[in-house]
Amino acid sequence: MATRQTDISLAPSQVVRTSRWFALQHRFAPYLFVSPFLLLFAVFGVYPIVKSLILAFYVTNGPKSAVFVGVQNFVFLLSDDDFHKAVWNTAVFAFWSVFLQLPLSLGLALLLNSRWVRGRELLRLAFFSPNLLGQVFVGVLFSVLFIPQYGLVNRFLHFIAGIPLDTKWLANPDLVMPALVLTSLWMYVGFNMIYFLAALQAVDKDLYEAATVDGANAWHQFWAVTLPGIKPVAVFVLVMSTIGSFQLFELPYIMLNNSAGPDQAGLTIVMYLYQTGFVTGDLGYASTVGWTLALGVLMISLVQMRVTGAWKGGD
Amino acid sequence: MRFPYGPAAFSMLILAILSGAWLLGNPVPPKKATLVMWTFAKTHYDAYKQAIPSFEAKHPGVKVDLQLVSWQAVTSRLQAAFLSDLDVPDLVEVEISAAGSFFRGPLKDVGFRDLTDRIKQSGLYDRMVQARFAPYTSRGRIFGLPHDVHPVMIAYRRDIFEQLGIDVSKIETWDDFIAVGRRVTSPGKRYMLELPDSESSRFEPLLYQRGGGLFDPQGNCIMDNEIAVQTMLFYVPLVAGPNRIASDLGGGQIFTRAVEDGYFLCMITPDWRSKTIEVDVPKMRGKMALMPLPAVYPGGRRTSTWGGTMIGITKHCKHPDLAWELALHLYLNKDDLAQRFRDTNILPAVKDAWDHPAYNEPRPYWSNQPIGRMYAELAPYVPFQYTSPFVATAKAKLSEALVACVQYYKQHGDKGFEEFVRKRLKQSADEVRRLMRRNPY
Repeated sequence: MATRQTDISLAPSQVVRTSRWFALQHRFAPYLFVSPFLLLFAVFGVYPIVKSLILAFYVTNGPKSAVFVGVQNFVFLLSDDDFHKAVWNTAVFAFWSVFLQLPLSLGLALLLNSRWVRGRELLRLAFFSPNLLGQVFVGVLFSVLFIPQYGLVNRFLHFIAGIPLDTKWLANPDLVMPALVLTSLWMYVGFNMIYFLAALQAVDKDLYEAATVDGANAWHQFWAVTLPGIKPVAVFVLVMSTIGSFQLFELPYIMLNNSAGPDQAGLTIVMYLYQTGFVTGDLGYASTVGWTLALGVLMISLVQMRVTGAWKGGD
Repeated sequence: MRFPYGPAAFSMLILAILSGAWLLGNPVPPKKATLVMWTFAKTHYDAYKQAIPSFEAKHPGVKVDLQLVSWQAVTSRLQAAFLSDLDVPDLVEVEISAAGSFFRGPLKDVGFRDLTDRIKQSGLYDRMVQARFAPYTSRGRIFGLPHDVHPVMIAYRRDIFEQLGIDVSKIETWDDFIAVGRRVTSPGKRYMLELPDSESSRFEPLLYQRGGGLFDPQGNCIMDNEIAVQTMLFYVPLVAGPNRIASDLGGGQIFTRAVEDGYFLCMITPDWRSKTIEVDVPKMRGKMALMPLPAVYPGGRRTSTWGGTMIGITKHCKHPDLAWELALHLYLNKDDLAQRFRDTNILPAVKDAWDHPAYNEPRPYWSNQPIGRMYAELAPYVPFQYTSPFVATAKAKLSEALVACVQYYKQHGDKGFEEFVRKRLKQSADEVRRLMRRNPY
């Protein structure tokens, strides 16, 4: 209002100039405000993506030496046993992560959503807190817990099940993956529980009352009311857990002492990408691995969304 | 006049202007150091911190910026620095297992300066243990000055050996050692030797002892030759099967506890590890001793090598002569090296330094043995260890082969074992060769 009064008191030529200035501002100001983001995204987002796509067709020794090899990197990838091993390990980890972690998270959320559990808030915090530590800390912690002969895990399992004290969780190729999955469960079950809790609390209570009136027991209510109610969140958690599992790197890297473990049992796709790019120094082949991983994760996510009917919207 | 897009946008604009102005007014000060050096070992860092002031005093106006960079970071950060030509130090110490990865690509693109002529013209090639140049050599050119020799001995619990009536002077060959080991090993309670069955870090010294290796001097992968096969046939029954005499629990606190408890009686111990044991297992002071590695056959080599460090001068360095002088100052000064030996137990690669009295001093921790003299007597026999840009892959593949052989031996014992070992080592070597064939340089 004050501005308008001021405009009225200006000379006609000044009014024209001021209104042009505001017109220009209104037209270009939004672009000006988003330009820092666009600039940074172009430099640190778009350029590396395009560059890595180009690199995927080269064998490189740094940016100074690059030899164009066409699709040979992709052809080599098809017969690369290490890559196959990395894909298998990552897929096994993702499978167990999804099919153990999500039911456990949901079960925990149902339990901690119940009115009959005392100290729910404290328990929620306790189950969520491992996620606050970060993968590196958790990796160090569990590599100590899994120590043979003197480690807490072996001592406990020896006490309750009589397993040998010198069981080498992180030095036996058959036990590396169970150790990684157990560690990941400890870290992420509580994290995903929070998503499920939020979804459970958003389900309309009237639906439960209506179901009770119709004679539905708790099991029927879970299938007919709870699950459809939390489906969008469940699909989100499923997709994000799968993507997160395929990006696994820090946990095995720390727990297996900066290596892929015995018989490469802890080699994941991202770890293989890192080794290829930053240990062997072939950024071209590492880009090929990266793009294959990105396309693979995209495909799996699309399949998951299709199978769960997430594209149908609403329900 | 009011800002038309609200106070939030106005605050952001002001903050952006202020921070931009501050950055303009406070530019990053240019580096004042004449030479920047990276090392990855804290013990080296501490020693060089003491040695650098005398170098700076000798060269007025010269300032050396010594930086401690973690072992993993040296590899990845230096690779990245070489690739981007940014933040490259003038001198770098590189660990032996990572050195090969820096020699990838055409010689002109190697980030380190070729030191061959300097080393040969200055007579250092003859003054130092020649075997130690091999890991830092690619296509006949030397890119690093060796810091150490790292001869290998066996550390043992002298007190327990005496209780058990074991006379180490009678242990000359591995057969003698294994015979004693079978007598004293009690599975799950006590093992004669600390050896892993899941990775090849101790397998490699035993491979080198027999004259084998991962690569030959031309860089060809030889990890499936007859020496490697025989080493595997020797190693696996030590760590697997009913007659095993070796086990492994890991490093750190668990190692301390295992040595204190007498879970392991012997450990393969290069000079650097003797200091690690002193620091990690202090309670064993006076109860430990060292003996030479048992020979493969009577009169054979009684040592091997494990670990190592080189110092290299980068092509980025603007004062290569000065950097070379600094490298010599740190690696050749007899008194400094003697003090460094007292602090780290590491025997320097330059042979004429070994006549310093420090190497004859008895060490109370090691039952008053003059461990410097003992390592120095073995140092001339340290085997050659050739490298390649594909050394990291080869080590991983060798570990895979070892794990597969251990699993086979656990399931089938001696039946078909030799045939399996040959097949599995060839498979691993072929995978390395296949990767090497992709290299267009």
